[in-house]
Amino acid sequence: MTKRISSKISRGSGELAILSLLAEQPLYGFEIAKQIGERTGGALQFTLASLYPLLYEMEKRGWVEGHWQTNQGGRDRRYYRLTTAGRKQLAPLRQEWQAFFHALDAIAGVSHA
Amino acid sequence: MPDWKKLVRQNLPAADQEVVAEVASHLEETYDLASSCGCSTEAALELTLRQAGLEAGKDWRVLAKQIRRSISQEGPMNHRTSSLWFPALLTLLGASVSLMATQILGVQPRLVWVRGMGVTLYWPWLATLPVFGAIGASLSRRAHASVLTRLTAGLSPALIMLTVMLIVLPWGLVLDGLHFFTLVSFGLGLANWVALPAFALFLGALPFLREPQAIGPPR
Repeated sequence: MTKRISSKISRGSGELAILSLLAEQPLYGFEIAKQIGERTGGALQFTLASLYPLLYEMEKRGWVEGHWQTNQGGRDRRYYRLTTAGRKQLAPLRQEWQAFFHALDAIAGVSHA
Repeated sequence: MPDWKKLVRQNLPAADQEVVAEVASHLEETYDLASSCGCSTEAALELTLRQAGLEAGKDWRVLAKQIRRSISQEGPMNHRTSSLWFPALLTLLGASVSLMATQILGVQPRLVWVRGMGVTLYWPWLATLPVFGAIGASLSRRAHASVLTRLTAGLSPALIMLTVMLIVLPWGLVLDGLHFFTLVSFGLGLANWVALPAFALFLGALPFLREPQAIGPPR
């Protein structure tokens, strides 16, 4: 089991994680949290207090757009999809994180995979 | 199965219906997943809240605060300022300017006699107060305030007058002594400057005490 990353570190990476997931397909909150947890082997985990405020903040900035959809089981879910503005943010954010890892590697010998 | 919407509404009383529906839906799915392991209802509930990061009462408060901050339209103001102090100040300012304006324009108040005592009823001013009650409560609601805060903001001029009168009363009793006349006079003042304005302000604030209609389908 991967060691869980502390909330202070994971908070900053949340935007990139969410934008990257939504770039693939529209997802609803629960599914976003679930996929992030699964894909990172549990290292990154979102609680309600870390996920939804971030989604609302990104929605306010116009990076994502939420809309309600009812599934076949009659359950209402709010799906988020990436907007054009959000898609434009993805590349610079990735570069920023790469630069961050390079910088950290130079100081602390921490390199990304 | 627990009533998730009810639980979320209880713990996030100031949240929009849309936020309540979304958070409740998340908890419901987490609970379904937890229940599928074949554990008891209590264990599934405990697991759901733990996974959602809502084990203690303070976790709900953190969630409420974070959500409020993320969707708040106000930039530099903190929540208390934008939801209470600013709307209350604006309501008070509006009510004061309105009182001055009616006097400058020469609109005469009505003199009502009660048990031989004349009470000046500022009816033209009272007629304008619902507008200011509405402004205060609507600004407060826009800042995602609770119903009590919206009501406080909308009734602020009357509440301030009540505070002033409660401070003045003991001094009046000390200086004039406890007389029937003093008490009746105080009671009439209370009705004239607190109760009637409060009623007028309340009429304006009333529509904004209800939750706004959300955009999404789930209610």
